[in-house]
Amino acid sequence: MTIVTGKTEARRRLQPGKSGVLRKIWEHRADYAYVLPAIAVMLIVIAYPIYYTIELSFFNTPPGLQLRDKTFVGFNNYTAILTSAVFWKVTWNTLIWTVGSTGISFVLGFAAALALHRDFFGRGVLRAILIIPWVISAVAASYIWKWIYHSDFGIIGAVLVGLGLADRPPNFIDSVSTVLPSLIVVNIWREFPFAMIMMMAGLQTVPDQLLRAAKVDGANAWQRFWHVTFPHLRNVSTVTILLLAVANFNSFIIPWIMTGGGPSNASHIWITHIYELAFGRQRWGVASAYSVLLFLILMTFGYFYVRALSGNDRKDGSA
Amino acid sequence: MSTIAETAARGQARRRLRFDGWRWGGRIFLVFMLLYTALPMVWMLLTSIKSGFAAMQFPPQWWPDQPTLASYQKLLDPQNSVGQDFLRFFWNSLFVSTATTILSVIVAVPAAYAFSRFTFPGRNFLFFTVLLRNMFPAVIFLVPLFILMRAIGLVNTHGSLVLTYLTFGLPLAIWLLKGFYDNIPVQLEQAARIDGATRFQAFILIVMPLSTPGIIATAIYSFIGAWNEYIYAYTFLSKNEQLTLPVGIQRFFSENTTDFPGLMAASFIMSVPVVVLFLVLQRYFVRALTEGAVKH
Repeated sequence: MTIVTGKTEARRRLQPGKSGVLRKIWEHRADYAYVLPAIAVMLIVIAYPIYYTIELSFFNTPPGLQLRDKTFVGFNNYTAILTSAVFWKVTWNTLIWTVGSTGISFVLGFAAALALHRDFFGRGVLRAILIIPWVISAVAASYIWKWIYHSDFGIIGAVLVGLGLADRPPNFIDSVSTVLPSLIVVNIWREFPFAMIMMMAGLQTVPDQLLRAAKVDGANAWQRFWHVTFPHLRNVSTVTILLLAVANFNSFIIPWIMTGGGPSNASHIWITHIYELAFGRQRWGVASAYSVLLFLILMTFGYFYVRALSGNDRKDGSA
Repeated sequence: MSTIAETAARGQARRRLRFDGWRWGGRIFLVFMLLYTALPMVWMLLTSIKSGFAAMQFPPQWWPDQPTLASYQKLLDPQNSVGQDFLRFFWNSLFVSTATTILSVIVAVPAAYAFSRFTFPGRNFLFFTVLLRNMFPAVIFLVPLFILMRAIGLVNTHGSLVLTYLTFGLPLAIWLLKGFYDNIPVQLEQAARIDGATRFQAFILIVMPLSTPGIIATAIYSFIGAWNEYIYAYTFLSKNEQLTLPVGIQRFFSENTTDFPGLMAASFIMSVPVVVLFLVLQRYFVRALTEGAVKH
């Protein structure tokens, strides 16, 4: 059976004349009309800001928003960043935050998806409840957990004291040693549902016959998972982990509202630090240089993301 | 349909493993996840129906001894200043989110269709550029967009928010919708073309109705994203009467953090619309979200 898709049709149309790029573009002018509005919006609100950020990263600016009075400083902003102790502290925090949140969210979400895969009474309701934290606003989540962690009236502290595990309620988010893990707990609470949704969808694509065949062949539950289920979920796992990692790397609301990066930078991650440099201390040049570095790091993520997704397409085509 | 041999094998396996460790492990794990997920939300609700005095006790009252809806009444009462502010924030959020949703869908539908069906030069490049937007945090765009909005006179207007919300709404909308269009057989359009429809007519009359679930899902996603957005609203708006809910409740309580029942009630009210919307339409939504990633 031959299926003539728009794609092959277009390809055939292109083949005979070895025309230049311009001619091809002209031939497809009607197609561009569909994407033009989207591209126009993207150019204004994405391309311009990226260009401007790169430019600003090479300048010093006076405080306030008088950005016209900027002076060129070359790579000074970059060297200033890379030689500052705060930078390395914040980078370390970002690493712990991103890896910790992503890893644990993924494992919990995956495990929940596996446990929910088998049908049982109340499964739909349970799934809906587990998804809710992901839908509610991060601002609301931050306040809820701030209240839970409250050092005088917080419920976790009260439980610990009640069980005799602590003399007085601990200062979860006011203490340098516990603040980052405490925020990670909140972050995982909000995003394991995303991993769960993705992995549940992935599990539905695992062929039942294969699992049954493996069972008949005497494979135990773990072997079935490891040799049949898991290999099938490689692709969706990659995409999920990448999306989670990028989202975590770009987190702002939870650390900003719960602690503002404190105490003494213990919960500052890149994004909150950049925000504070720009809008708190109005060091636009340095903040821009940070953004450019961030941009480069994210491009690396992006490379793997695109590769994961297009690997997807390629397999689609051959299937 | 299972063969006799299969049934027998399954029965044997079941007898061998009277105690199914995996099943029980899964159940215990789910109970743990349920507690982790639900307890914070239950605690929010319980706190929101306490009086300010009852909330500030140690050890806490687990169950409020005198439950009261006073916090909700205060927030939803247009007669007092708290209620006026809060309701205005609510309407602002509703306006900005709805406008963003409508615009995202209008712009994203044709773009996603083109990315799904046409092969024009630069198609892949443009598509991945659009996708890559979601890699970048709002913070990178804040300063330039703030300056841009100031230049075109949109600072301190809801227009600035709607325009910037398109930066993250559009890429996602295009991605989600493209997944839907990819799954609609091209033959349907070709049949319409043979019957004399133009390509545009085929798109409007054949493809659009079929992609309604996808459009609904995309609209919910845009709406939830805009409703929960914080950082642009926090930076771009300064006047009290313009604030959206996430920023509004922060301004509300940042000076006066003692009113935790009020804060919890506000958090609850803010969460209701998106949670209801999501739960009602989650089927579409989950399908759209996972469509692209699960192919193998």
